[in-house]
Amino acid sequence: MKTTSHLKQVLAQGHFAVTAEAGPPKGCDPEVINKKAEILRGSVDAVNVTDNQTGIVRMSSMAACALLLRAGIEPVLQMVVRDRNRIALQSDILGAAALGIQNVMCLTGDHQTFGNQPGAMGVFDLDSIQFVATVKKMRDESVILGGDPLTSAPPMFIGAAANPFADPLPFRVTRLAKKIKAGADFIQTQCIFNLPRFKEFMTMVRDRGLDRQVAVLGGITPIKSVGMAKYMAEKVAGMDVPPEIIARINGVPKKNQRDEGLKICQETIQALREIEGVRGIHIMAIEWEEAVPQIVKEAGLLPRPAVSGDGGPHAG
Amino acid sequence: MITATRKPLDDIKAMIRPFKKVLIAGCGSCVAECAAGGEKEVAQLASSLRMAFKLEGQAIELNEITVDRQCVNIFLDQLEQPTQANEAVLSLACGAGVQALAERHPDRHVFPALDTQFLGQTKQPGLWLENCLGCGQCKLYYFGAVCPLARCAKQLFNGPCGGSQKGKCEVDPDKPCAWQLIIDRLGALNALDRLDEVYEPVDWSCKQGRGPRKIVREDQQS
Amino acid sequence: MKKNVETTLTVFYCQNSFKENKRTLEAQAGPRVRLFPIPCSGRLEPLFLLRALEGGADAACLFVCPEGACRYFEGNRRASKRVAYTQKMLKEIGLEEDRVFITFMSANEKRPPKKMILDALAAAEKLGPSPLNKAPLKEKK
Repeated sequence: MKTTSHLKQVLAQGHFAVTAEAGPPKGCDPEVINKKAEILRGSVDAVNVTDNQTGIVRMSSMAACALLLRAGIEPVLQMVVRDRNRIALQSDILGAAALGIQNVMCLTGDHQTFGNQPGAMGVFDLDSIQFVATVKKMRDESVILGGDPLTSAPPMFIGAAANPFADPLPFRVTRLAKKIKAGADFIQTQCIFNLPRFKEFMTMVRDRGLDRQVAVLGGITPIKSVGMAKYMAEKVAGMDVPPEIIARINGVPKKNQRDEGLKICQETIQALREIEGVRGIHIMAIEWEEAVPQIVKEAGLLPRPAVSGDGGPHAG
Repeated sequence: MITATRKPLDDIKAMIRPFKKVLIAGCGSCVAECAAGGEKEVAQLASSLRMAFKLEGQAIELNEITVDRQCVNIFLDQLEQPTQANEAVLSLACGAGVQALAERHPDRHVFPALDTQFLGQTKQPGLWLENCLGCGQCKLYYFGAVCPLARCAKQLFNGPCGGSQKGKCEVDPDKPCAWQLIIDRLGALNALDRLDEVYEPVDWSCKQGRGPRKIVREDQQS
Repeated sequence: MKKNVETTLTVFYCQNSFKENKRTLEAQAGPRVRLFPIPCSGRLEPLFLLRALEGGADAACLFVCPEGACRYFEGNRRASKRVAYTQKMLKEIGLEEDRVFITFMSANEKRPPKKMILDALAAAEKLGPSPLNKAPLKEKK
């Protein structure tokens, strides 16, 4: 078993990290995951696998992560506290580590009423911050909640999310500080379309010295169409798509809207590279993983670094 | 207060249809305050049921009574005779009242006419809000007297989720984000530092116990 | 349309609306209309309407003073909501919602009370007899 997360090493060695998101299928065909693995291979340092995102039942994130590992891709296991109590969460952390998964992203999860199981019991036994603290305790102290010892500690690189665009803004930074205090090693942010607001957020982050305690990866989402932009702006909770962005996409013919979306991505990535404290990007190309290699290439972020100590990069 | 709403009339009809003589029993406390199970609602329901059964050509005798509380024995005494004088009881109490009444009458069907909802407040006439979960370990001190367990859709203990926007909850934009309320209140009270702490997970054994909870007070016993 | 001579109507009205007393109005309205003055239309309870229908009226009606003219400020607005609530109950019961209705008096109501009452009765007649008044009961075994 490998002992150090590839993503952790990429960041530790000062590289500008690149992660991407892959959503598991609404079915049990492993080829869907294998296909996404092939698309993303070589373009990213690690791949986040979403956990029944928006409350829609999909192949389990852990199983999809295991498939990625088998394909030689470094996975980031997303886990939401919506569906599992503390017994199941801790048990799954141990199981994930046993499979060789070494990155976990601890999330609250979209509310169950948004998905296709609106009658489900929302568990929310732990919140995402308590979950981060729990994984840290398991890893660093080799104990579970309540103090019972583990026979071996899961070597997890612990991630958490931040949404600089939700309200209230000052508390967003406080919440980030709490996630760091709880034990987050890296942060992936909500998709960034409102750069001024993100810069404001990062200034507050730096003012509190938080950028030196955690690696912030800025969220990037390519917009496919003006319809998608409007949908995200109006319907997706916690998304901030400013009217200028919508107008810009709307200003080009429909067949060129994807290109315009990709152009915005490039501009955002270059801007993020200039912001002190931003240590990488996290590309969430929703059901459009094919766009990722092009985005990374055009951003000049290839080749992805090989790092010493893990027998070669998984995704390299 | 315990809030409740009336079940659909068809569901109520289905429960009492086999019977000729049914007592409709109201409860004059919480469910009267929330206009679901008091004397007025008993009369409305009785009148509605009489008409509904009449339209079906079914004769049914419905008797009406309302006591102060169906969850307390001394008030249930008043229901003793009326319950025995009918074949079944349709109770407009909360779930606690329905069960307390039923327990005293092993030989009578006791049916719920209400769906018990939540512990809450009467915010204004005609508007009731949930604000307590009965978790058994009140933490309102930390959160400026706004309960994140009862009032945040995700029961978050350490700050608002990413869906809090302009003070509203992502799950239902008609509702305030509980965390915005907490932050506003603590901010006004100059106590925002209380939120810097990472709060430990809730001890659900205080709520779930070993099965149903009980309170024993020997000094109160006779 | 064939006129149903048996149609009966119960009218609830705010006692501040008419200067005529109940007896005078009853004499004008005729035997098919029952009249109930209430202190304010806002004091109307859905139960009043239900009981009127249960008691045999083919329809029940509430006279409401014009918006803004209520002596108690918003009694008339509240009354509209209660009538709407009662209509929902009628639907559950299996009766036509129109069997309870509101007659709004306009700010410069020109109709004399008698005319208003007879207009309401005419509206009730259009509904035909209440199904409650023709359903024979069978005893349960």
